[in-house]
Amino acid sequence: MSPRAIATVFGKELRDVLRDRRALMFLLVLPILAIPALMWLTTEITVHFAQKLSQEKLVMLVLNPEAAPDLWQELRRRGEATHGAKRLAEYLARHRIGREELERLRDASPRDMAQLLSERGVRWEELEKEIAISSGGGDIELTGGAIANLAFPPNLDVIADTEREFADPAKREERLAEAVRTERIAAAMDFSKDAQGQIDGEGSAKVRLYYLESSDRSELAKNGMVRLLRQLGAEIVERRLQARGLPDTFNRPLVVRPERLPGAGLLVKLMSQLLPYLIILFAFLGAVYPAIDLGAGEKERGTLETLLVAPVERLDLVLGKFLVVTLAAMISALLTALSLAVSLRLGMFAMLSQAGADSFSFSLGEAALSLLLVVPTCCIFAAGLLMLSLFSRSFKEAQSAISPLQTLLILPAFVSFLPGVKLDWGICAVPVVNVTLALKEVFTGNMDRHLGHIGLILASTAVYAALMLWAAAWWSRRERVLFRG
Amino acid sequence: MSGPPLVIAEGLCKDFPSRRGQKVRAVDGVTFSALGGEVFGLLGVNGAGKTTTLRLLSTMLRPSAGEARVCGHSLLREAGEVRRCIGFLSAATGVYGRLTAREMVAYFGRLHGMDDRQISQRTEELFGRLQLEAFADVRCDSLSTGNRQKVSIVRAILHDPPLLILDEATAGLDVLASRAIVELVKDCRSRGKCVLFSTHRMDEVEALCDRVAIIHRGRLLSCSTLSEMRARAGGGRIEEAFVAMLGEAS
Ligand SMILES: Nc1ncnc2c1ncn2[C@@H]1O[C@H](COP(=O)(O)OP(=O)(O)OP(=O)(O)O)[C@@H](O)[C@H]1O
Ligand SMILES: [Mg+2]
Repeated sequence: MSPRAIATVFGKELRDVLRDRRALMFLLVLPILAIPALMWLTTEITVHFAQKLSQEKLVMLVLNPEAAPDLWQELRRRGEATHGAKRLAEYLARHRIGREELERLRDASPRDMAQLLSERGVRWEELEKEIAISSGGGDIELTGGAIANLAFPPNLDVIADTEREFADPAKREERLAEAVRTERIAAAMDFSKDAQGQIDGEGSAKVRLYYLESSDRSELAKNGMVRLLRQLGAEIVERRLQARGLPDTFNRPLVVRPERLPGAGLLVKLMSQLLPYLIILFAFLGAVYPAIDLGAGEKERGTLETLLVAPVERLDLVLGKFLVVTLAAMISALLTALSLAVSLRLGMFAMLSQAGADSFSFSLGEAALSLLLVVPTCCIFAAGLLMLSLFSRSFKEAQSAISPLQTLLILPAFVSFLPGVKLDWGICAVPVVNVTLALKEVFTGNMDRHLGHIGLILASTAVYAALMLWAAAWWSRRERVLFRG
Repeated sequence: MSGPPLVIAEGLCKDFPSRRGQKVRAVDGVTFSALGGEVFGLLGVNGAGKTTTLRLLSTMLRPSAGEARVCGHSLLREAGEVRRCIGFLSAATGVYGRLTAREMVAYFGRLHGMDDRQISQRTEELFGRLQLEAFADVRCDSLSTGNRQKVSIVRAILHDPPLLILDEATAGLDVLASRAIVELVKDCRSRGKCVLFSTHRMDEVEALCDRVAIIHRGRLLSCSTLSEMRARAGGGRIEEAFVAMLGEAS
């Protein structure tokens, strides 16, 4: 082994890769731009769909309005999405606040609500103004539930089956299904006999909702109606209590309010799932092009022979090339992490709008450890990719040999998304999976609890990396690999 | 043309694995020697085993049997030393498109253990001789085929090797570029180097070779001087002698 020869090969290959537009594309541009672009796109898509949902009218057919005329009228009135509601929904979407999230905060503490709003850059006065417009000036509490009801009315067109088209009970369901399928209606409902009497008395009216599970519109209409009915039901209870002179706490003996403790929250959880996955994936992707170019590329250009005739040991050649590919993987992984961190700081991640408000940050020690954890895996990737590439006779062949590997790699890296998969001694020996899980723990702030595991992972991946490198060196000495007939 | 023997091949054999797990003998007991100051031609039809023989002698492939001494070093035991003393060029050898001509040449100079001063001196000298100065800092992928091959020539002889191995080095080149190679071969001979040369072009053989070996199906059919070859053809062109010999062999 000659350090001078290795350095010569390394220097030349590095220069070559840095002049390769395709390699740079994967190495620099993809990690730097793809992640923010992805975030921006998801934001735009969320806004787009929020608008679309609030614009489309869904027909809810009432089969027997005569059974509960007052209820019917009330549902008609409330089903209508007003201009104000649309405006509020768009305002919220622009700040990446969706309905699910508001619903989730329905019963949460005001602190969580306030934190969410400030995290998303919502100014109180502005929000209050928007709410005043959409509610027509009435007083409204700034709770998640109240804002959700205002901004996201179901937008239902509740109409009566005046032609009594579906009156025949024998063929009712079949015909309704057909009507939903052809999008004449989105869903239908009927009331039990004397429903109005039950409501006005102290009884219980039954409402049946007909919907088609496979249709998104139908599902939406059904869910919207369920929410409306719940809301109405709550109001009816309130009236009944008032009529009897009972306090409104009468039917709420237990009020549950979850209080989130400070510390790692949902954002951290999501990031710690996403980040390891992306780091591993981009480390691989960043290494693919240089690896192909440094192996199969030599054959395609006809430079392999000249290299083999030069007085350099094959080991030195492979080491020089291997170091460049490993470096590419590391740079790609690092850029991915940096790009994600910056995008987060700039608050660009719409996907994370689901999360509660807490910041994602980690210490220098954690960053250094993560980097260290990734190194051996990058070595494994580099050696494996170089072996495949050296075996291939052309760029094309190398690409088609590597692309299935790319798909395969997504599986083990995916484990960070699986709930309940914990870092244990056995998993420490499984390459790629082990690092993914270890990174997850580091990012969740649990590094101190897993030092033993992390040590073992570093050791085991280093052994694998060394084995892979040894295999690559052996591989590069085989005539059947370098000169394939 | 009576320098020391720079190539002594003794019973070189090479087997390649074939489709059905059997072996195909591509080179079969090739024995010959080539001297310093001599241009030694290898002639043979497609698939005869010329490239394989030259690859064996340049240590790219390991012989299945036999041995050779190249510049006094054993092919089997001192492959590193052998590589130091050969320059290799074939029709298929390429250049690194994203490196400039100068960078490309310097890379191989360094791999041969030359220092930067030696490299730049030699590069200037050879680029001058091959009229490449204007292209020295042009990326190889924007050079013409001829100029690329000239860069390859410089790459092959930068370290001034005593033995030059050329495998159909002029194939696919225009008149000027092939002439540059022919000049190079003549120059090497005049400076006492040995040139091993495979080609399909009889005019090159007649113009350059001192001795010619004919390979057929991996075996050396004959090894003779150009005048012996001519005599065998009854004073005619050596192409006739070559064809006649192949006829005898089959
Ligand atoms: N790497 C290899 N694997 C298997 N067989 C090979 C390999 N290289 C060469 N051969 C076979 O060995 C034989 C000799 O090939 P070689 O390339 O040496 O011939 P050649 O004389 O150079 O022919 P050409 O004039 O076409 O260049 C051929 O039958 C070829 O198919
Ligand atoms: Mg050949």
